[in-house]
Amino acid sequence: MKMLVIFEKTPRLRHIGHLDLMRAMQRALRRSGLPIAFSQGFNPHVLLNFAAPLSVGMPGKREIMEVPLDKGVCEGDFKKMISRALPPDLPCIAVRSVDDRHPAPMASLTAACYTAEFEHLPENFADTVSAFLEQKEIPAIRKTKSGMKPCDIRPMIHELAVEGNTLSMTLSLCEKATCKPDLLLSSLFEFAGMERPNALITRQQLLGGDAPNFMPLEML
Amino acid sequence: MKFCKGESHLNKQELMQLEQLLEQVQKPARYIGGEMNAVQKDWDKVDTTFAFCFPDTYDIAMSHLGMKILYHLINLREDALCERVCMPAADMADLMREKDVPLFSLESRKALNHFDIVGFTLQYEMSFTNILEMLNLGRIPVYAKDRNDTFPIVVAGGPCAFNPEPLAPFIDAFMIGDGEDVMNELIDVIRDGKKQGLTKMNILRNLAKVEGVYVPALYDAAYNEDGTLSSFTPNDPAAPAVVKKRVVKDLSAAVYPDSIPVPYTEIVHDRMVLEIMRGCTRGCRFCQAGMLYRPVRERSMDRLLELADKLQQSTGYEEMSLSSLSSGDFTCLPELISELMKRYKEKRVSVSLPSMRIDNIVKQSLEETQKVKKSGLTLAPEAGTQRLRDVINKGVTEEDLIRAVSDAFESGWSSVKLYFMMGLPTETDEDLQGIGDLARKVVRAYYAMPKEKRTKGVMVTCSASVFVPKPFTPFQWAAQDTIETVHEKQAALRQYLKQKCVNFKWHESHLSMLEACIARGDRRIGDVIYTAWKMGCRLDGWNEHFKFDKWLEAFEKCHLDPAFYAYRERPYEELLPWQFIDAGVSQEYLKRENEKAKAGAITPDCRHGCNGCGLQKWHVCDFVENPPLKDKPHRAEVAN
Repeated sequence: MKMLVIFEKTPRLRHIGHLDLMRAMQRALRRSGLPIAFSQGFNPHVLLNFAAPLSVGMPGKREIMEVPLDKGVCEGDFKKMISRALPPDLPCIAVRSVDDRHPAPMASLTAACYTAEFEHLPENFADTVSAFLEQKEIPAIRKTKSGMKPCDIRPMIHELAVEGNTLSMTLSLCEKATCKPDLLLSSLFEFAGMERPNALITRQQLLGGDAPNFMPLEML
Repeated sequence: MKFCKGESHLNKQELMQLEQLLEQVQKPARYIGGEMNAVQKDWDKVDTTFAFCFPDTYDIAMSHLGMKILYHLINLREDALCERVCMPAADMADLMREKDVPLFSLESRKALNHFDIVGFTLQYEMSFTNILEMLNLGRIPVYAKDRNDTFPIVVAGGPCAFNPEPLAPFIDAFMIGDGEDVMNELIDVIRDGKKQGLTKMNILRNLAKVEGVYVPALYDAAYNEDGTLSSFTPNDPAAPAVVKKRVVKDLSAAVYPDSIPVPYTEIVHDRMVLEIMRGCTRGCRFCQAGMLYRPVRERSMDRLLELADKLQQSTGYEEMSLSSLSSGDFTCLPELISELMKRYKEKRVSVSLPSMRIDNIVKQSLEETQKVKKSGLTLAPEAGTQRLRDVINKGVTEEDLIRAVSDAFESGWSSVKLYFMMGLPTETDEDLQGIGDLARKVVRAYYAMPKEKRTKGVMVTCSASVFVPKPFTPFQWAAQDTIETVHEKQAALRQYLKQKCVNFKWHESHLSMLEACIARGDRRIGDVIYTAWKMGCRLDGWNEHFKFDKWLEAFEKCHLDPAFYAYRERPYEELLPWQFIDAGVSQEYLKRENEKAKAGAITPDCRHGCNGCGLQKWHVCDFVENPPLKDKPHRAEVAN
């Protein structure tokens, strides 16, 4: 069986890179006393999979990792044991047990919600956002493994809204089409003719399913 | 925006600034804290706050065992807390100064000047400018005389505290010897002093009465015309003429952490450490640790296994390293290793053994420890010929070395690192050639294996550091080779090691020269350190930041000559700056050993008979009862 673990990566840990986070989780699992599975080979390591790596500098409210187990454990016991083993800035929010055939969370991932908290946004910024979204095409340059690629990010923006000084957004996040919040913000502020102010960007929720009927990934 | 769980202690503006700095620096994970097992206590519920400062960056600091022991020990107290503070890397230090963010602790992000006690660990001389940099970034005046009652009391300990004089102008009190033995008394005295409203000077007077504590302000140093020390005397009745080092008598009963912070970012030694033994009986004449950490004390098997289990459960580390100066000398090593391997096989925890001597590497231990994971093998013959190895009393032979590497090659190793020193007393070109010969013989030992037994790709790395004479060793009177001589020797050695499958690594001779100046420096060296720091020297242990010319300029500005400190052989009559410290080993013993070195005579391991090093007077050494050997033993007997 496998356990899906929903956890938070708090702002204090936002500078921890993906590999460091993975090592921290592996050590937490070793501390937990849970019947974890190890890889074969000369340097065995604890098996686990993250739904999606978080960019360095970004906290995550409901991140997901999948932990294969050697023996069955009930959700309640698992949550109790993993919570004791996790540092205060990586709290476990919920767990869900699934059977081995359940698709990997990474395979079902299609999008994610983010918030960007600014110190101050102009009062009429909601109008700017509406005008931005009315564009048929939003050309941008995307960084990919094979270099810089021009693309249209408009179809990857599923939601963009302002409330006070916070911008919330739902953006595509899958192998075929990914729009990072960073790219969206650059594009938006360029459109607004403003210098991009500092903001704390947080990933709020990973999503599965198709637009407009996205579902929290852990519920799929 | 709230970035930190729990209350943050920098003010709001400083905190916002800090968050922006973290966006701009390399490796921001060094500055965030919040690790598993980090101890976060309530500042309002303790009497005394202690900042444990490591004068180097986080990745080095977090690899240091002493900090983990004392952090644990202080935090066991209900009335005190200990938080960690590390030296920021250059980019961070510059930005902090520019944006006016003070140096802060990892746990509560509290500025350094808010602590009651600021304690530095002195592990190597070339970290001393970092101490000034950290005090300054922490908004604390660097000179002790400039700090009034409102500032923290600045203390220091560790191996370099055995010659505290170069740092005397900056530190209020030094702890000499085993920190876990004196720390609680030091905190008690400072806590009581603060409660009674005593002045800093009176608290320091009370500290001076604690055995093992040295308060430099209570002593005066005077100099002869030739620059040597003429007298060193207390100027206050509270100060003892001789400061005696502290010794933990029973290591099994001593405090040892059963839980340690587990860093998120990778550090130099990212594993749990089990200190199995303290001290070494071998008596290598160049080795300061071997003299300072006497007597040898072993931790009991029961205690070690208990600690191992607790550490494994609390950290989740995948590797455990058994630590001591000479792990092969630990009485129950094979039993300990097999028990640990048995316990942790299922949990996939590997056991590693650094600090093995060539002459007692147990083949079985080699094979046991690599069942889970194979690591590189490092051996330290230290010198190239038997003559020179006898001079330094490194009781190993060429046969020992060849046997050890042959065993290793047979067990599946293919790369071996050999450590040597150059510039040892009496060294000649023949000794350097000897290093080349040894390397050749090691490679030959590999090819002597049957082909099917060899692991491909033999590589022998020879690393030669420059000898630095250290206080409290038989070579404390010796001259260091000049930089020019070292360069000539390095060039020669490069030729001798131009061989197939052999790799040569050498050390920066400029750094070693400065290390020698500071290691045997007097109080006046403090001004050189200050001047060098003022001119921008810091992080001197890092190649990219080391500014030799600035250091030379600092010596000149202070009217002091580096050659006087590094290149001068001291006569036995000379009053040495560290002579007021009683480190256990007597000056008579050191002189005797130095004379034996000159004669090329070896001194056997004191497990085989007491050599009368001086510790017998304290009744703390288990081997004093062993009768001295009447006849000079054959070398082979010594090695066994």
